[in-house]
Amino acid sequence: MMKRISTIYRTVALMIIGAAFILEAAATPARPEPPRLVNDFAGLFSDRQTALLENELVAFDDTTSNQITVVTVKSLEGYDAAEYATRIGLEWQVGSEKFDNGVVMLVKPKTAFSDGEIFIAVGYGLEGAIPDAYAKRIIEEVIIPHFREGDYFEGVAAGCDVLMKLASGEISELREDDDEAGLIAGIVAISIICILVFVILLAHENGKGGGHGGNGGSGGRGVYTGPIIIGRPGGGSFGGGSSFGGGFGGFGGGSFGGGGAGGRW
Amino acid sequence: MKKGLIIAIVAAAVLLGGFLWIKGTYNRMVTADEGVSAAWAQVENVYQRRADLIPNLVATVKGYAAHEATTLEEVTAARARATQVVVDPSDLEPEDIARFNKAQGELSSALGRLLMITENYPDLKANQNFRDLQAQLEGTENRIATERMKFNEAARSYNTLIRRFPDNIIASMFDFEKKGYFEAQEGAETAPKVEF
Repeated sequence: MMKRISTIYRTVALMIIGAAFILEAAATPARPEPPRLVNDFAGLFSDRQTALLENELVAFDDTTSNQITVVTVKSLEGYDAAEYATRIGLEWQVGSEKFDNGVVMLVKPKTAFSDGEIFIAVGYGLEGAIPDAYAKRIIEEVIIPHFREGDYFEGVAAGCDVLMKLASGEISELREDDDEAGLIAGIVAISIICILVFVILLAHENGKGGGHGGNGGSGGRGVYTGPIIIGRPGGGSFGGGSSFGGGFGGFGGGSFGGGGAGGRW
Repeated sequence: MKKGLIIAIVAAAVLLGGFLWIKGTYNRMVTADEGVSAAWAQVENVYQRRADLIPNLVATVKGYAAHEATTLEEVTAARARATQVVVDPSDLEPEDIARFNKAQGELSSALGRLLMITENYPDLKANQNFRDLQAQLEGTENRIATERMKFNEAARSYNTLIRRFPDNIIASMFDFEKKGYFEAQEGAETAPKVEF
């Protein structure tokens, strides 16, 4: 009898845990780690297109501090597109805390069974620069015509272009602290590399004739040579930072009040 | 002599501890209370924003659909009733919120009916001014939903704070009272859907 009750309890507990997992899964997607601005969960873009768009949006974030993030999803998980996009904005905290200048462009592609849906959620700080009526017109006149032809990338890119023009008129601040942080990181990385090189050179001096190729013999030194080989190309990319090394600094604490507009096709 | 000193020290420590506890708890409640009031101010803002859009919307629709006078009047009347409901932001008792919610809900349904009849007027639907108004109205409904959600979250954390033991003793000492939530109302919760 006791045993039976405990089995029932266990089953109930398992069911609750299972339900919790299902609820968890039904929520909005988790904030991307490492942070990025183009989150193609539905797989609408090619790798090249994603990189292109990401670079453009990161550069825009760097020069104006406005964060536009593109999120594509296969399903809205039962949410209204507006609510889903606003929730993503709130939970990821798109935009800076100072200006609340984030924009979330959410795209759910058209399928055989459902309409395509798009929503552009605008953070508090950009509601003046991108009023709902503008967002609506961008969606209907710029974005959806491309989507109707099945060209998701062209539509999103053209929409982002207009959004960037509108947003930069309102808030345009260089991300100085981020640049500084990047500079410090670069200096630290270069110093570490220099120290490692120095240590290796010293080790070579002392361990006279250890052999360049046969570093398998001496365990301790072998460990040192490893990082240095990996370390060098890494150092190189700091120099040519603008192409990829700059990277997206992360979302910054922006808030959303439900502004923006949506459309379907 | 020595005993008296010990008692004095213990008493002082207890007093100090008690004071610090009351101070910390009281201040936390004040902060949470202010958070709820601020969230309420935002809720009123977005509802006011909707109320401000309505005269313009009614005028635009009238230009194309003058003989839908009853529906138009209903919207105007519901708007007048809704803007008359004033809630004291320092109280926000459940009954206040319910009263406010009901009046705004009636306005929502009147608006929904108005938008439904606009479907029958293709010229109106093609009018750019009307389309912009519609986009603004939809945006306002989204803002209302968002601010209601934020208000409910603020009210929930405040209510949790004042009801937890032993902090509830301090809450009742200083008259911190439970705040109301927005309950979903049939029909009011769903924004008037506008299909294109």
